Amino acid sequence: MASGLQNPTSTWELVSGQYYRKFTVFTPSWTQDEDFNLDDYLVAGAPFGGALALWKDPRKFHAYQGGQAAKPHIIICNLAGGLLRRITWDRGAIRAIGWSDDEHLLVVTTDGSVRCYYDLQGNFTHFSLGADAEEHGVVSCRFWGTGFVALLSNNVFVAVNRYDEPRPRPLALPKLPSPESKIHSWALIPPNYSDSRHVEVIMATDQTILIVDATESQDQILQNGPFHHISVSPNGSYVALYTGDGKVWVIDVKFQQKLSEYDSGKTDEIPLDVQWCGIDSVVLVWEDEVHMVGPAGAALRWYYDSRVNLVPEMDGIRMITTEKCEFLQRVPDVTRSIFEFGSSSPPAGLLEAVGHLERKSPKADDAIQLIRPSLPEAVAACVQAAGHEFDVDWQKQLLKAASFGKSVLELYNSDDFVEMCKTLRVLNAVRFYEVGFGITGDQLERLTPDKLIERLVARQEHLLALRISDYLSLPTDKIYIHWACMKVKLSVDDEDTICRTIVTKLSGKRGIAFDEIAKSAFEEGRGRLATQLLNYEPRAGRQVPLLMSMEEDEIALDKAIESTDSDLVFYVLLHLKKKLPIATFFRIINDRPLAYSLIETSARNIDTELLKDLYYQDDRKSDGANVILRESLMQENFTTRIDKLKLASKLLKDSKEHALDASALEESIKLLTIQESLERDVFEETFVGLSLNDTIFKLTRLGFHPRANKIRSEFKMPDKRFWWIKLRGLVAKREWAEIEEWSKLKTSPIGWEPFFNECLSAGNTKVASIFIPKCRNLGHAERINMWVQCGMIVKAGEEALLAKDYNSLEGLLPKATGAAVPEIQKMMQKLRPGR
Amino acid sequence: MVAERATEFDPSKIKDQALRDLCNVLEGVRGKKSLVVDKALSGPLGLIAQPSLLQDYGVVQLHWIEDGSIDYAASKNILYIARCTAKNAYSIASQIKNAPRIPGQDFEHSLFFVPRRTPLCDRILEDEGVFGDVTINEYPLYFIPLEPDVLSLELDDAFEDLYLHKTYTSIFNSAKALMLLQQQYGLFPRITGQGDKGKRLLDALLRMRNEAAAEDASTSMALAPSSIIENLVIIDRETDFVTPLLTQLTYEGLIDEIFGINNSHVELEASVVGAAMQGPAEATGRSVGTAPAAPQGKKRKVLLEGSDRVFTDLRDNNFSAVPAILKKTALRIDADFKKKDDYKTVSEMKTYVTKVLGPAQKDRTSLSMHFNIAEIIQKHINTELFEKTLEVQQSLIAGYSSTQQHELMAELIARGASLETVLRLLCLYSCVSTGFKPKDFDLFRREILQGYGYEHVLTLDALDKVALLQSRTVAGSTAAAATRTNYDYLRKPLRLFSESVNESDPDDIVYVYSVYAPLSGGGSLNPNSAGWKGFEDVVKNVGGKTFDEVQKGEDKAVRARMILDGQNEKKVTVVFFLGGITYTEIAALRWIAKQEEGKRQIIIATTGIINGNNIIRAATTAARTKPRQT
Repeated sequence: MASGLQNPTSTWELVSGQYYRKFTVFTPSWTQDEDFNLDDYLVAGAPFGGALALWKDPRKFHAYQGGQAAKPHIIICNLAGGLLRRITWDRGAIRAIGWSDDEHLLVVTTDGSVRCYYDLQGNFTHFSLGADAEEHGVVSCRFWGTGFVALLSNNVFVAVNRYDEPRPRPLALPKLPSPESKIHSWALIPPNYSDSRHVEVIMATDQTILIVDATESQDQILQNGPFHHISVSPNGSYVALYTGDGKVWVIDVKFQQKLSEYDSGKTDEIPLDVQWCGIDSVVLVWEDEVHMVGPAGAALRWYYDSRVNLVPEMDGIRMITTEKCEFLQRVPDVTRSIFEFGSSSPPAGLLEAVGHLERKSPKADDAIQLIRPSLPEAVAACVQAAGHEFDVDWQKQLLKAASFGKSVLELYNSDDFVEMCKTLRVLNAVRFYEVGFGITGDQLERLTPDKLIERLVARQEHLLALRISDYLSLPTDKIYIHWACMKVKLSVDDEDTICRTIVTKLSGKRGIAFDEIAKSAFEEGRGRLATQLLNYEPRAGRQVPLLMSMEEDEIALDKAIESTDSDLVFYVLLHLKKKLPIATFFRIINDRPLAYSLIETSARNIDTELLKDLYYQDDRKSDGANVILRESLMQENFTTRIDKLKLASKLLKDSKEHALDASALEESIKLLTIQESLERDVFEETFVGLSLNDTIFKLTRLGFHPRANKIRSEFKMPDKRFWWIKLRGLVAKREWAEIEEWSKLKTSPIGWEPFFNECLSAGNTKVASIFIPKCRNLGHAERINMWVQCGMIVKAGEEALLAKDYNSLEGLLPKATGAAVPEIQKMMQKLRPGR
Repeated sequence: MVAERATEFDPSKIKDQALRDLCNVLEGVRGKKSLVVDKALSGPLGLIAQPSLLQDYGVVQLHWIEDGSIDYAASKNILYIARCTAKNAYSIASQIKNAPRIPGQDFEHSLFFVPRRTPLCDRILEDEGVFGDVTINEYPLYFIPLEPDVLSLELDDAFEDLYLHKTYTSIFNSAKALMLLQQQYGLFPRITGQGDKGKRLLDALLRMRNEAAAEDASTSMALAPSSIIENLVIIDRETDFVTPLLTQLTYEGLIDEIFGINNSHVELEASVVGAAMQGPAEATGRSVGTAPAAPQGKKRKVLLEGSDRVFTDLRDNNFSAVPAILKKTALRIDADFKKKDDYKTVSEMKTYVTKVLGPAQKDRTSLSMHFNIAEIIQKHINTELFEKTLEVQQSLIAGYSSTQQHELMAELIARGASLETVLRLLCLYSCVSTGFKPKDFDLFRREILQGYGYEHVLTLDALDKVALLQSRTVAGSTAAAATRTNYDYLRKPLRLFSESVNESDPDDIVYVYSVYAPLSGGGSLNPNSAGWKGFEDVVKNVGGKTFDEVQKGEDKAVRARMILDGQNEKKVTVVFFLGGITYTEIAALRWIAKQEEGKRQIIIATTGIINGNNIIRAATTAARTKPRQT
């Protein structure tokens, strides 16, 4: 063994075949202050070795300390007792204090008001748990990494799932066995460990346990209550219950199986706290007595001079007293295999070998040869074990052993070794008492280095954060931003100097959000500095919100336009429209086409009055008239419809360029009036809303020819169109006599082919055929085809004969039937008598 | 660090991600829930997930936001999924405000905005006083792969947004979607394109790239030029309105023209879909003698996509080739069925049943449906109206414009052809002839107003604003010349028009429109021409700005990416159609891709699939305003 090192096993204790170690991480600085007694305070600790929050225990009497100091406050300090912040509390009685994984401090008052202190500087956001909480009051709270649940005195549980946008939601009402039943104790299962992926509450009432989630309350039907404490293991798999007769039960979370039982022997005194230590033991605390129940129900006991506060961690538990800050955990397996008394494991051998080497003893080589076959595993174990040690000398010794081992190996991948050296440097740096993190290697891995850096930044340890980031190749932008924000807030220099300092320091760094820095400046009331800084923000979109709150309206609008994000532009516009007089607003959008289009388009759907004003001030008459035209389409009432049209047409009349539109609208009024009177005359038919063509078509189809003619001349419809419409109308009416009448006319403006086609498509070959001879403009071949389409093969033959087209005749022959066959043959004879 | 490194272009990953995200959205609300969806999203969501997924995740009710009628008795959890438009935010706010208040029964409202949560929507919900009553999140749904080579944002209103309202929301969304591609595959090494709105998209994209670089030091590697994607071509619909105005003549294009395809689904009469695909509900009919006739008017939605082998063979062909392909397919399927005699042993038979018989049966069902569809199409294109329409179109693009075309157009109006058909022709005329002569312009405006209703003053105004239908005094002005595509100068050099094409075994891209090559595909990519660069003089006549941007990264990052990705032989070209693409253009690009097979992969990306009718309908929205129901 290396000399001068305390044997690690000195802190070990054995319980049911498992070693546990309890060691002092820090001796807090408050031990120097004789007047300070932690027993006067309630303590809440942030996970991952983070900060502590202390506040005066209201149940205890405190010595009167004069007017000023009597104001209640919350002390935030690190595990070494170093003060981080003293928050003066002015908001009513505190019911509970807790921490989130991001080290945000949550303070809940009895009336359900919640503050979330999101930095360690005393800045906070505030929200309320709702009217229910205000009326009935909060009884207690339980926190998890990203949220918490509060129990109200009317037995309602209220859950908050996130702090950035808190939405307090009540869980299902617990189905208590009787109205008098009390809730003895409760705990929660965080969303990431529950089956439903939403938070669940385990609560003890009467003899039993209920599990409550957002939708239902389920009775687990137990008979051994009342249970005074419930604690869920860090992995969400087990539950520890403290029974009325002083026993601890460990049960799986499904309440199927009891895993162990322990009798504390204390039937008269309920423990102050019951918490898990890692995932295989449970710690019970009475005022100055601590029991730790191991996996098989055996226990260790310790006695203290003052009250013990528990802060559970994923891999152990923190015990904080007036005297010291300790950590209790199960000895990791690799550590045990190396240091356990009499261990002959390969890594133990390797550690021994390096001891020999240091003493320059030749036995070093023998020791190595002895474990040669399992040397790679031994090296790995030593590297791992180093990560579990808090003592720097032992870390070094273990790494030295690993290093010696790997030098003997021919092939070794040093990645793990290098990685561990890096991790240990970071761990040791933050465990330094001035920084005061009591974090273990496993915790760091879970927390991630990025989050550790965030925590350092919150503690104003910018330099350390920066060095660690650089060392681990992590992004540094957030550190710089935070530093700059602090600079803006705290510096007493003049604004130009501050701006210069910040810009010089941050130039060339990537990802610097100048908008955030500018925002801090603005919040500090340094408007000009904010504007200066904002100019350095390359992302136009991000400048917008701040510019808006700085009332730099037009710049905000221009930046939004620059960002190409139309939704953002519209957002600014919505804000401006509310705030500015309409004339100013129009002036602003007038020379910005995108803004103009956005307002135009949205107003078209929701605010036509605004649109009319807009067009009016721009003298856009035709657009203004179109708005009114659209309004007229929306009217059910006939008179208002006409009135709107008149209004629109009046608007257009004055200008020459819109003469056509104006006359179209006047025609439209005329047509509507005619249609309305038609509806009065012709029962059960609708005309209003039809187009001119459709009106005439419909009249024709219904047989009102004089009326159709009248409208036609009133609207000066061209002949061709009228003939087409009339033809279609008559065909639709199957008014064949009328159509035949037409055939007696000499000419038709649309020719005769349409007559043939329309009749044919309507299936009347007889009438269709009447028009074939009239199609003189067509070639004989087409006429032949027309006859064939009417099924008149002989007629087709005559057409061919007339044109002396023998080939066509020949083609007709197969189509002919019955009497037509000889006829066609006769015609063929005529043309080619020889055959 | 960069999350995932891609070594080849794989759009299916985008779909998987979208599905995973959707599951998370649904899982975010515990227990039974009523789902309220923006109607514009129902189609896109249908492409991502089967309806059964919703039931699996506890959805008991499905409503449209537009309907505003939620059955509050069904569940106390109300989950909204909506595009992040102001209109949606207002509707949702009013629905939350009007939710019944039952003491002791609190409704839980959750809201997911697609594709992102915006300050605008937050502000609206705040102003309406419901911000505290609803949990707001986002569902980042951008590109949806319609086919392995087609990515679409499925934005129904992109055309209006870009060219009519000029609000450009879809440019920002497109840029975001393309940024996501860049984040996965690296920067597009070169971006070329055409058109003013296209230039805006490029600017937005470059801005986002710079902002992403400023955002985070660790993304610089991801933002090195891609070694998988070679270039991005941005085509602004505005540079070529002519192509979508023409009637599409490929099989899929004609289905779109006649039936309308929405989000890859087409609605057909049940009798067309055929007995086998109608599911068990129809099988319970009487079985005496003839099969029971399918009930008239009953519609069925059918998904048209690449997994249907029969459809894949047909979709991109000119319709004139379709009968022959159908016949060939019928013979092939018949042969597949007969193959059973070749297999002797049990294991051979097993392979036959799974590998040959199964697919063949599926093909047979599909084939009968496509026979029915083809029959309807055939009937449609044989009508005189269709023939006349096509005649006008083809004369116009060939550059013959005469009084004859005018008369034909007037005749179509008099004969009551649909407004879409007529306006498509008029717009086409205006586009290829630099507007109508003032006299003709007034004449046709009158024809339209008298023929289809005076409310179409609004429609004509909209078409004028989009520069689709204009008088020569406006269209011919120097201001308009910069953004206008001049077809007279382009027709020859870009070989847009050709009358000698083999429609069944095409040797030129013009086969898709029988005589015309889409400018959109032809100019930029057609290997028969030399691409934009060689045609600089010609390109002056294509509307809008031309751009060509090379994106470089830091040398270090470029090398790192090369090492990681290796050197790919096959390069990917992404063609982004801003403002929409037609099925026929997709067919044309696939034809080009086939010529380049092995050397280049063409990925088509777009804001959505459009056709001429959609374009016209965008302009007729205002005129279709109906009286408010009281």
